[in-house]
Amino acid sequence: MSHEKVHYRTICNSERATSSLENMSSRLFRVATTVAGVAATTVLAGCASDAPQDTWKPAGPNAQKIQDLQWPIFLTAGIVGVIVMAFIAFCVVKYRDRGQAIPDQAHGKAWLEYLFIAIPAVILTAIAIPTVGVVMALNDTDDTECVINVTGQQWWWEYDYEVGADGTICGYAPSEVAASPIITSGQLVIPADTKVLLRGTSRDVIHSYWIPRLNGKRDMVPGRVHFLRLESDTPGIYAGQCTEFCGLSHANMRMETVVLESAHFQQWIDNELEPYQAPAEGGLAAEGETTFIAQCSRCHQVNGLVDPGNGNLVVSYPDQFVYSGAAPNLTNFLGRNTFAGATWDLLTPECRTDVWESSPEEFGDKYLAGVSQDCLNEIDLREWLRNAPAKKPMYADPAMLEQSDGKVRGMPYLGLSEDQIDQLIAYLLERK
Amino acid sequence: MAIIERPSDAVEVVDETTPSVATPESSYGVFRRPVETTGWKSWLFTIDHKKLGIMYGVVAMFFFVVGGIEALLLRLQLAGPNGTVLSADKYNQMFTMHATTMVFLFVMPMAAAFANYFVPLQIGARDVAFPRINAFGFWAFLFGGLFLNTSWFLGGGADGGWFMYAPNSSVAFSPSNGVDFWGLGLQITGIASLTGAINLIVTVINMRAPGMSLMKLPIFTWMVLVVQFLLLFAIPVITVALFMLMFQRSFDATFFSVEAGADPLLWQHLFWIFGHPEVYILVLPSFGIVSEILPVFSKKPLFGYPLVVFSGAAIGFVGWGVWAHHMFASGLGPISVAAFSVATMAIAIPTGVKIVNWTLTMWGGKLRFTVPMLYSVGVIVQFTIGGLSGVTHSVAPSDTQQTDTYYIVAHFHYVIFGGAVLGLFAGMYYWWPKMFGKMLNERLGRVNFWLTIIGMNLTFGPMHIVGLQGQPRRMYVWTENRAGDGFFNIGFWNLIASIGSFVLALGILLFFVNIYVSHRKGTEKAPLDPWDARSLEWITTNPPKEHNFDRLPEVGHLDEFFHRKYEDRGSDGHHEFHQIATAEEVVAEEENNADGHIHLPSPSYWPILLAFSLPIMAYGVIYNVFLVIGGAVLGLVSFYGWGLEPHTAPEDDYDPPTGTAMEVAAHG
Repeated sequence: MSHEKVHYRTICNSERATSSLENMSSRLFRVATTVAGVAATTVLAGCASDAPQDTWKPAGPNAQKIQDLQWPIFLTAGIVGVIVMAFIAFCVVKYRDRGQAIPDQAHGKAWLEYLFIAIPAVILTAIAIPTVGVVMALNDTDDTECVINVTGQQWWWEYDYEVGADGTICGYAPSEVAASPIITSGQLVIPADTKVLLRGTSRDVIHSYWIPRLNGKRDMVPGRVHFLRLESDTPGIYAGQCTEFCGLSHANMRMETVVLESAHFQQWIDNELEPYQAPAEGGLAAEGETTFIAQCSRCHQVNGLVDPGNGNLVVSYPDQFVYSGAAPNLTNFLGRNTFAGATWDLLTPECRTDVWESSPEEFGDKYLAGVSQDCLNEIDLREWLRNAPAKKPMYADPAMLEQSDGKVRGMPYLGLSEDQIDQLIAYLLERK
Repeated sequence: MAIIERPSDAVEVVDETTPSVATPESSYGVFRRPVETTGWKSWLFTIDHKKLGIMYGVVAMFFFVVGGIEALLLRLQLAGPNGTVLSADKYNQMFTMHATTMVFLFVMPMAAAFANYFVPLQIGARDVAFPRINAFGFWAFLFGGLFLNTSWFLGGGADGGWFMYAPNSSVAFSPSNGVDFWGLGLQITGIASLTGAINLIVTVINMRAPGMSLMKLPIFTWMVLVVQFLLLFAIPVITVALFMLMFQRSFDATFFSVEAGADPLLWQHLFWIFGHPEVYILVLPSFGIVSEILPVFSKKPLFGYPLVVFSGAAIGFVGWGVWAHHMFASGLGPISVAAFSVATMAIAIPTGVKIVNWTLTMWGGKLRFTVPMLYSVGVIVQFTIGGLSGVTHSVAPSDTQQTDTYYIVAHFHYVIFGGAVLGLFAGMYYWWPKMFGKMLNERLGRVNFWLTIIGMNLTFGPMHIVGLQGQPRRMYVWTENRAGDGFFNIGFWNLIASIGSFVLALGILLFFVNIYVSHRKGTEKAPLDPWDARSLEWITTNPPKEHNFDRLPEVGHLDEFFHRKYEDRGSDGHHEFHQIATAEEVVAEEENNADGHIHLPSPSYWPILLAFSLPIMAYGVIYNVFLVIGGAVLGLVSFYGWGLEPHTAPEDDYDPPTGTAMEVAAHG
């Protein structure tokens, strides 16, 4: 449990204790309960640190800028609201018909009306000025230290790490010269304390990239390139969800951004660019490799995979089979810990808690260990391999596939046998 | 097109002894005019603005129930994690149709119901300027709405969200006919709105009672007028967008095809240039209703009437310059975002003016908390909450955290339900005795009100929390992984919202129970002036006669009816109001001085037939082009029939052929 959470928990507990102020005089009691009520609300807001997409818990400077701008505005809105409500309540109680005379039929008071135009105008001007400043700051792209391309499609995100002119990725030089680019999906891995700029678009409909604790959202629109700043100084996994309605499985299009400190990020890059290691001959994983080549490799790329049957490099061509033209690169599939649009966990619940809720210091090592056999959430993965569209809706009506040039919307039903699934899992367990 | 004449000019003397012979001006000659005043024909072919108003209301309430059931299904699905009540596909159709139904088939037509019924009454007119176009508008709305909903039985409803963003709306991503039904259905209801807008604008500009200057116009009519101008300019924009969508889907146009070089943001701009004024189209009529009711039950004029009028107009104007605040996350670039952010803040000022003026209307008043008054105070309170959360997302960076989350869902339901719908209910309770001659039960009404208020706050209040905790909208399932476990955990508050939606449904159900209870046999007739009201619509019987007013009232004050009943006997700046006449006396005075001849146009077959040609053509666009031709022929025949028929039925169309002074007189 993080230091921050302990802090909030403590306040939450002490708050419960203060609510038993009973033997006070009634007037004082009223004041005290009011204050306690306001305080409790404020503190309880803090107690929600557990929600992974909490928009009020910034974990990086971009989200922090938004938070610094918005909390005084929420507070002001709250105060204005309380004043208006109190005023309405006062009128309702005070001027109730108790048989008083018919009031003067006055049509208004000019000065009062001007005053009530002036007050909101002043408040709103005070809000507008810093707003414009933050809008500009959040759209700044001059200070970028690392560019990562992000592409949305129904219903997952692909990441493509840009290699700089000096051969570095985000300023980190790979230990070996890369044979393939780094292409991943679902979980975006970025170095800590680095001003990352996502350069995004979409292959089909509009999607929106949103990691609430790192920044606001930005739509990724086909035919356009949009930018989004991301930065964090705290290693960890930050959850997000596609927030532009993108069709049937919009709810099943999630993503995470993983922040690794410098040394760990270097390690991650090196691991991603490691040459392909074929499974040991004769094992279940080797059978899995054959099954993978036969069943999966038309769409899914595993970098460096060589077909032992003919010695050819296996290259996927999803544009022939999938409507969006892409399928996730599985080179280091179990180096990530979620799959199918980051919707299901590759980790069992216990292992997930261990990784996701570890301290920033321990997080990097735990994440880089990938998913071990003991920790693999086989239930969801097997269900997925058995019949993917049954788990994640890909099309409302299979007959309608014809209208998409005969291409599938996502992973189709493959009719794999249980043996084949065993083989594939053994093979995939080595992909990390 | 003729305007109904005021009786002072061109009164045609009808000789009661005129023999009933066929008048040669009956140029179409085939059908007898449907002049019945009772029975189904009197409704189907009516051009009476009051009957049309009632029909608008009935149909709108029907669609309210449909949209409400859709909402309950959505909340059932979301009550717990990984809901299984609806499939992903059905869920997407459900939220699309819920929004479409509530916006286009409930709130807009319900406001149209009140506008139709009460604008002529409030300005002292005998009908709207173009009664047959008025009838056509209603039927086009009804047929458009039914057409839209037949998609449920013909392959499924639209599934792209009510905003229907391109390119997700194209055939490749939405292969069923749902989106076609949506696009065509809304074109038809758009025609209804547009004709209604022109009709009411002309009516208000041209047909006010003598002495009623624009600044003596009842505030409800003012707000309706502003709304009609918004409709006049907004509906063409969405129609263009829908037309492009229709061509995109049905005829392979490439307006939104990225591969052909199109920019999908074009749709967003078109949609929201319509869509934002639409918000004010939804809410301003209710603002007008509340602004009528608060003075009545405070026994004071509306505080700062001119300012409320001008702020309404200002909202109307500025409402055109804020559409891109729906697109702060769309990637418009910082300059646009900053400009629209500031413009959006500016619109909070005239909106705030209304809240302040309503509250100051109550200040120093003599408040009676009847059900309409409760609903009106409810509007002030609930709309204030929605307005304040609105300010938090006028701040663009903050909005990029909130947009497309449940926080926005919370916000606009406080605005649309808390502002518009509660206001419409206030109007129903307030004007029910005027429309139907019976009072709605006050005790049941109170329970109805409190259940509705508790229900809406239980439903939409938690959505603030759920949204700020990061739950996006339009997800058919949510998962415990993203729910958290603190006080603000998403699971608990989703459940509360779902429970709240059923409390709300129960509250609404009580309204229907109330109608039943209030109209049982033996319930008393409503008094002539049950609320001690202030405006012109009350200077006539309950319900009003077919011709509204026996004598067109002369207007000398903003609150004319109040000033006919009360007199200020104070002096030297001291005011003392005394009742000088009862409502019965005021109305009797009018009846005793009834106009000799009153011109009312006759019912007609053509409006409903012309409207019926529209869905036929729309089905044709989807299924078979020959249907388009068939519909077009019907439409053309109706056009000619309409154009050639005289405004008033020849006397031998009546049975018995008649020439009583009240009913007949040709006018041109």
